[in-house]
Amino acid sequence: MKKRHQQKMIIVSAALLLGLNIPLVLLFDFHQNLLGFPIIYVYIFSIWLFSVVISFLIIKRYNE
Amino acid sequence: MNSIVLLIILSGYLAVLFFIAHWAEKKGNSKWTNNPYVYTLSLAVYCTAWTYYGSIGVAADSGLTYLPIYLGPIIIAPSWILILKKIIRISRVNKISSIADFISLRYGNSRIVGAIVTIICLTGILPYIALQLKAISETFHVVTKTPTRSYILDDTTTYVAIALALFSSYYGTRYLDASEKRKGIVTAVAMESVLKLVFFVIIGIYVTFFIFDGFDDIYQKASLLKHFQEKNTIGGLPQAINWFLLCVLSMFAIFLLPRQFQVSVIENNRENHINTAVWLFPLYLFIFNIFVYPIAWGGNILFDNQQVNSDTYSLLIPQFFDNKFLTVMVFLGGFSAAISMIVVSSIGLSTMVTNNVLIPYNLLGKLRGDDPISNKSIINSRKVGIFSLIILSYLIYRFFGLDYNLVSIGMVAFVIIAQLAPAFFGALYWRRGSRLGAIYSILIGFSICIYTLLVPYAIGLTNSESAFISNGFMGYELLKPFQLFGLNYLQPVPHALFWSLLFNSITYFAVSVSFKGNYRERNYAEMFVDINKYITNHEDAFIWKGTAYRNDIEKVLIRFLGEERTKRAMNIFNVKYNVDKNIELADARLVKFSENLLTGHIGTASARILISSVVKEEKITLPEVLKILEESKENIIINKKLTETSNELKEITAKLQNANESLMIKDKQKDEFLDTVTHELRTPITAIRAASEILHDDDEIPEELKKQFLQNIISESDRLNRLIDKILDLEKFETGKQTINPCQNNLVETVEKSIEPLQQLIKNKGITVHIESKDKINAYYDEDRIVQVVTNLLSNAIKFCPEKEGLISIQIIEKDNFIHTFVHDNGKGINPDDFEAIFEKFYQSTNQNIKKPVGSGLGLAICKQIIEHHKGKIWAQSSVKGACIAFTLPKNRNIEI
Repeated sequence: MKKRHQQKMIIVSAALLLGLNIPLVLLFDFHQNLLGFPIIYVYIFSIWLFSVVISFLIIKRYNE
Repeated sequence: MNSIVLLIILSGYLAVLFFIAHWAEKKGNSKWTNNPYVYTLSLAVYCTAWTYYGSIGVAADSGLTYLPIYLGPIIIAPSWILILKKIIRISRVNKISSIADFISLRYGNSRIVGAIVTIICLTGILPYIALQLKAISETFHVVTKTPTRSYILDDTTTYVAIALALFSSYYGTRYLDASEKRKGIVTAVAMESVLKLVFFVIIGIYVTFFIFDGFDDIYQKASLLKHFQEKNTIGGLPQAINWFLLCVLSMFAIFLLPRQFQVSVIENNRENHINTAVWLFPLYLFIFNIFVYPIAWGGNILFDNQQVNSDTYSLLIPQFFDNKFLTVMVFLGGFSAAISMIVVSSIGLSTMVTNNVLIPYNLLGKLRGDDPISNKSIINSRKVGIFSLIILSYLIYRFFGLDYNLVSIGMVAFVIIAQLAPAFFGALYWRRGSRLGAIYSILIGFSICIYTLLVPYAIGLTNSESAFISNGFMGYELLKPFQLFGLNYLQPVPHALFWSLLFNSITYFAVSVSFKGNYRERNYAEMFVDINKYITNHEDAFIWKGTAYRNDIEKVLIRFLGEERTKRAMNIFNVKYNVDKNIELADARLVKFSENLLTGHIGTASARILISSVVKEEKITLPEVLKILEESKENIIINKKLTETSNELKEITAKLQNANESLMIKDKQKDEFLDTVTHELRTPITAIRAASEILHDDDEIPEELKKQFLQNIISESDRLNRLIDKILDLEKFETGKQTINPCQNNLVETVEKSIEPLQQLIKNKGITVHIESKDKINAYYDEDRIVQVVTNLLSNAIKFCPEKEGLISIQIIEKDNFIHTFVHDNGKGINPDDFEAIFEKFYQSTNQNIKKPVGSGLGLAICKQIIEHHKGKIWAQSSVKGACIAFTLPKNRNIEI
C-alpha cells in the first residue's frame, strides 16, 4: 500500500476519534427510540459500521 | 445442573481445544492456520469474560459506559496499517518476544527498564487473570446452582483452575525460542473467538426475539424502569470527558496489553494480515456489542427488584426459562473467552518474567561461570512460571475476594498497563526519548496509580468509612485519592488515568530532553524510528567498536542454540554479508546478529550481557554515534540509488545481449545461405561446364554421346533456372513483394489437380496414392499457390517412398474454422528433432553422413511462406510409419486468428 493511501486510514482514525467523542457525541445525547434502541446507540453503532465499510473499501481498492 | 456433568462437558471441551492446538501445531504453515482470518480472530482475545459477562453488567447497572472500551480499538484500528506494521517490523528484525523486550531494547537494551515493564505488567495482569478465574468460578456456581465453598480445596472450581494451569504450561513452552510462532495456541484462540461470538449472538437472539418480541418490545418495557433514561445517555460534559478518557485508555490497551502484543505482534506471520484485521476486527467487536444492550435490559426487566448479579444475566435468563442447553452453551462461551485470555496472558507474562527478570538478574543461575544456566532450566522456569501465575491469580481471587464487578477490576489493569504508553509510543516516533525518561516516567505514573486506584481499591470501594478516601491522605482535602487536587467530576478510573498519564508524560519528556542519553540508546532509537530504512540489513545499523573473536561468540551461541543451529546461522550470516568464514575477528554486524539469535531464547537484556561478556567493547561517544549514523544514512541513500542505477544498467545490458545474439544468429544464417546458394548454383554450372568442355575439346565424340551431353546441358540449365526461380520466389515472399489472390475453391479438386502431372512418376515408382475426404471441401486460397504446395509435398513424399509398396495418403478434414490437410508417406520418416528445421531454407538433414537427397532444399521453405501468407500453419508431425506433413487453410475470408 502506498504511503498516500496509508494516510487515508490515519484520517479515518482521526475522523472516528472526533465522531465518537465530545462534542459530536453529545448532539445525540437525548431520549428517543429509533429501531428499538435509544438514539445514542444507533448513532454510535452506525459510525462504527461505517468505519468498517470505509476501511474495507480503502484496503480493497489500494492494497497491492 | 449437576457439577459432575458440567465438569465432564468442560473436560470434553478442553480436550477438543487441545486437539485443535495439537493439529494446528502439526500442520505448521498450512493455509488453515496461517491466514489473515485466524490472525484477526486471535486478536479477539481482547474480548475476555469481561466483555462476555461484564459488559452486560455495566450496561444493566450504569448504562453506556461499557462502550468506550471497544471504541478505543475501533478508533485506532485503521491506523494499524502504519503503527502496528512498524511495531511488527521492529520486533521481527530484533527477534523481540514481549513488550518488555520491546521497550527495554529501545532504551539501550536496559536490564532495569525490562524489569520495570515486567513488574508493571505483572501488577496489572495478575488481578486481570484473577478476574477471569472469578468469572469461570462464579458462572460455574450459577450453572450448577451450588454455593461457593469457603474452604478452597472443597470448591470444584479450584480444580478447574489447576487443570487450566497445567494445560497452559504444557502448551506455552513447546518452543524454546520465545519469539517463535505458537501456531497451536493461536489457532485454538481463534477457534474460541468464533465460539464465544457465536454463542453470544445466539443468546442475544434468544433474548431479543424469543423471550421478548424484538428490540422495540424491550425498549418499551425497559423505558418504564427506573433510571432508564439517565442510564442510556452520556449525561453531560463531565461524563463525556470520562467517556473520552476511557476511549484513550482502551486505545492504549489494544497495543500495550501483554496478550494483545503477543497475538498482534509476536504471533504475526505476515505483515499484510493487518490489512484484513483493520476492518474485520472492528466488525467482530460490532457484532459482539450489538446484543449487549438487549440482554442487559432484558435482564433488568425480568429481574427487576431482585438481588441478582447483573454480570450473569446471560446465564440467568435461559436458566429462568429452564433452558439447560442454552445455559451450558453460554457458560462454554464465557469459559472460552476466559481461558484464551488466561492462556495467552500467562504465557506472555512468564516469558517476560524469565527473560527480563530471572535470567538477567542471575536468579536462575549465572549466565557465565562454572555452572551456567542451561536451556532446560529456562524451559522449566517458564513452565513453572505459567503454572504458578495462574495459581497465584486464583489465590488472589480467593483471598482478596475481589468484591468488585468484573469491569472495574479490568479497568484498573488497563490503567496500570497504560503507564507504558509514553515510553512505548516515544520509542516508535521520538529519537530523543531516553532510558532515564522511560524509567522515571513509568515509576511516577505507577506511583500515582497506586495512590489513586490500588490503595483505595484495596481498602474497599464500598468502605465509605475510610478516612483516606473520604478525607484524603492525613486529612488533606487536596490529596483525596478519587479527587486529587480537587478534580471532582471524573470517575475513579478516568481520574486515575488522567493524573497518572499527565505526570507520566511530563516526566518522560522533561527527563529525556534534560539529560543526555547514552550512545547505545541513540543507536537503538535510530533503528526503531527509521525501521523501514534498516529492514533488510538491520545489522548494518548497529554501531559497535571493539575486539571480538568469532570463536568466543560461537561458543556462547552453541550453548543455547546447539551445534547445528549455530552452524546454520553462521552460514546464513556469511552469505548475507559476504563474509569470509575464516576471518577470526568479529565485526559489529556479527555482534548484533548473535545478540538477536540469543534474544529469542533469553531476552534482549540477557543476550546483551552474555555477548558483551565475551567481547571487548570500546566506548564510543554520543557525537561519534550520531556522526556514524548520519554517514550510514547517506550511504544507505547512495547505495539505494546505486542499486537502482545498476539494476537499470543490468536490464539494458541484457536487452543488448539478446539483440546481439539474434544478430549473430542471423549473420550466421546469412553466411550459410550464401554458402548453400553458391554451392547449389555451382553444381549445375559445373555439370554444364564439364559437358560443354568435352564437346568443345573433342570433335570426335560419337553422335549418341554428343546428344547425351547436350541433353545434360539442357536439363542442368533447366535445373538452374528452376533454382533461381525458387530463390526469387522465396525472396519475394520474404520481403513481402509477393501477393496472393485467394478466393473460394474446392480443396479436393485442387489436390487432384496437383496429383495429375505427377501420375507418371508415381506409376514408375509403383506407389499407391489415395485421398481420404468428402467430395467437396471449400476453403479460401490462391489455387495456383496451393497447387505448388501440394505438388511440393507430394514430390517429397514420392522421393522418400520406398521403391514398390510405396504408399501416400492425403487426408482432408474440416476442423473449426480451418481445413486441415495431412500428407502421409511410408518412407524413412523425419527425425522429431528436425520437425521445425526442415522448413528452413536449404535445410537438408543435419546428419552429414547420410547421402544428400536430391532437391533444392527450398521447397518446404516456400511452402511455409505460402501457407503463412494464407494465415494457415504448416508443420511436421510423427506418424506411425514414415513422415507426415500437415497444413491448414482458412475456411472463409474473414478468419480472425
